[in-house]
Amino acid sequence: MSGVVVTGWSALTSAGVGVDALAKRLELAEAGQVEKGQEIGDLYEEPLPAANGHFLPSFSPREHLGRKGTSTYDRATGLAVVCCQEALREAGVELDDEVRPRIGVVLGTSLGSFKSTSDYTRETLVQEKPYLVNPMLFPNTVMNCAAGQVAIRFGLRGVNTTIAGGTLGFLNALRYAGNAIERGHVDVVVAGAVEEFTPHRAWSTHLTGATEVVAAGEAAGMFVLAKENTPEWAGTRRRAGVLAVATAYGPGGGDAAETALAGCVHRVLAKAGADASEVSTVYTGEADDGDRREYGPIVRALGHSPERVMVKRLFGECDAASGAVALGVLLAEDRDTRPGLSLLTARGADGAVGAAIVRRYADGGPDRG
Amino acid sequence: MARVVVTGVGPVSSIGIGIAAFAEALRTGRSGISPITSFDPAGFPHRNAGEVQTFDPGAQLRRVDPAHWGRSSQFAASAARLAVADARLDLTSVTPGRAHAIMGTTSGESAVAEALTEQIIDGGFAAQDPALLTQLPANRLANAVSEELGLAGESLTIATACSASNYAIGYAYDLLAGGEADVVFAGGADSVCRWAHAGFYRLGALAKDACTPFDKDRAGILTGEGGAVLALETLEHATKRGATIYAELLGYGVNCDAIHPVTPDAPTVAECMRIAHRNSGISPSDVDYICAHGTGTQVNDLVESKAVLEVFGERPPPISSIKSMLGHTMGAACGFGAIASTIAIDRGFLPPTVNWTTEDPELGVDPVPNAARQANVRVVQNDGFAFGGNNAIVMLGAPE
Repeated sequence: MSGVVVTGWSALTSAGVGVDALAKRLELAEAGQVEKGQEIGDLYEEPLPAANGHFLPSFSPREHLGRKGTSTYDRATGLAVVCCQEALREAGVELDDEVRPRIGVVLGTSLGSFKSTSDYTRETLVQEKPYLVNPMLFPNTVMNCAAGQVAIRFGLRGVNTTIAGGTLGFLNALRYAGNAIERGHVDVVVAGAVEEFTPHRAWSTHLTGATEVVAAGEAAGMFVLAKENTPEWAGTRRRAGVLAVATAYGPGGGDAAETALAGCVHRVLAKAGADASEVSTVYTGEADDGDRREYGPIVRALGHSPERVMVKRLFGECDAASGAVALGVLLAEDRDTRPGLSLLTARGADGAVGAAIVRRYADGGPDRG
Repeated sequence: MARVVVTGVGPVSSIGIGIAAFAEALRTGRSGISPITSFDPAGFPHRNAGEVQTFDPGAQLRRVDPAHWGRSSQFAASAARLAVADARLDLTSVTPGRAHAIMGTTSGESAVAEALTEQIIDGGFAAQDPALLTQLPANRLANAVSEELGLAGESLTIATACSASNYAIGYAYDLLAGGEADVVFAGGADSVCRWAHAGFYRLGALAKDACTPFDKDRAGILTGEGGAVLALETLEHATKRGATIYAELLGYGVNCDAIHPVTPDAPTVAECMRIAHRNSGISPSDVDYICAHGTGTQVNDLVESKAVLEVFGERPPPISSIKSMLGHTMGAACGFGAIASTIAIDRGFLPPTVNWTTEDPELGVDPVPNAARQANVRVVQNDGFAFGGNNAIVMLGAPE
């Protein structure tokens, strides 16, 4: 079998910090409901396009990390660093200087923190002198800021890659991480995605029509990935196997993208050595029952209609991080009665598509010690 | 493991568009630095950059409509189109799903982000143009290449700042060597923008008139822009179609300083060089030329030289910085470095470090000052370092 295993993971969602908060929210949720999100209140001074959103109320990186090194973090960076800390802890990774060069970080995003970038540009336009910007905040304008800070915080010296994938961001990160492990660049990758809730993202999702059904949201999800036969320091349990990931492009979008998505489904099945009939659940990036831009091609590719889970209905439009939330939901949900394989899919605004095939191990998987 | 070769290059740069103009500029040491026009530099004490002022997206693009794509995506797609032409590759002969687009960038569609910010300042968040917002996501850089060339393989934008296109070329290498691709278009693109100009100035890392890497009195970078794409193929695919092979892509190495957001770390950089050599099956004595990261800041050039001396000993190969001509093209920088390395191998000369006047005894390297040098170049190391400590080094060799 190809692919990688998840030895531990965590997620920061509007349900709160960590796996338990996510699991509890899922327990209380009614199947298929659209959660409108919390009242935003005075989180930001700027006017927002909606009264509600999916965000972590009173999120403070310092509360989880202490003061040191956190003062320049923007929101996305704080979410990513805290999430990585939780994921490493949950996996039971034993960090020391021997293993740090063998651990990589791969993080999906749309464009980093649009707020950090835009605020920096704003300063150059509204200050008395255009260069009166804060040099300490300059790295936040660059898209790899969060992944770099994750590496600094935990001393992770392996491959450190930021993938700008939009809605494909998480699947791109999974694919890239799997390659880095398979090719021996590193033994372990903490892979995930992050998006922050800011006026900039709330407005850009609103104005581009992404929030017609669900509100804007923020989230981080990070997963400790390793080879099946990885050393014990990477964590001794297997939560899931990410058996295969495929991404592709349909030039022009439309039918070409649907064909490309169906092709990805066929490819991950083939790579995983699995039969279409084994797929019981599919986690898509759609938000509305009537939207079949992903589900349609998937059903045609599989030849049957698996259950569709649309995590955006509960956790909002989290762009690159929505895929990470989907894998978190897959792993957190109490679904022991429904065995089988799951697909995660995504489809972008242009022609980008992707699919991952995941086998969840019930109760956290066999002890590998 | 399949062998991987470079069969085409597409530079869209301030010193020339297309391989002929770019190679001639490298040979003659032409500067692409000029007074900034893409934003109003009034109020900035320093007002020069490496803009591609002659860029006309309509000159290259056949399928991507510039009206719907940002400047960086236009650079990416134009560079890819040039690379196809240079490779004399008939795209209809390539299995669509086995041809991929992998692009690196630092700031993605920075000009779009700045235009939106002006709309926010003038009219509030609600005044942003939705059409412009659709151009903002950075994944559009790779998508523009996929659209322009009609590629159905992976379309991936890697945003590891100023080493991003070496990351892209490295991932392309893995796809080709591992049997998942026949052809990959890999490189990077970025646009000159106001916020980076301001940020580097405030870091004390922005030169006033000229970028002078490895000079004792080097004063920093100049921001630059452009698109740089290489057509990479498996040796088998290239040979079968009778392609001209410029160079072999031998391998790459990546690691992360994990120490400081902006200050590079010499031991980690040296380790990255060793990883790149090991993965490429070469030893330091095989390397004939280092295409430097060479930003022209005091700290970068010192750290890079230290790492080179640590890995290569007291007599390292010549190391020059094409940023002396182009400025720092950010996410495209390593792509231009890889193209310059390819040209060095193919045409037999080392590109110079221009603007050089004063030796810095602390560095102890030969920067190929001011004039290109004839040389038999068999193996090149193309360096890339970045904010976030994202080191990536690509090795290229002469075709056999």
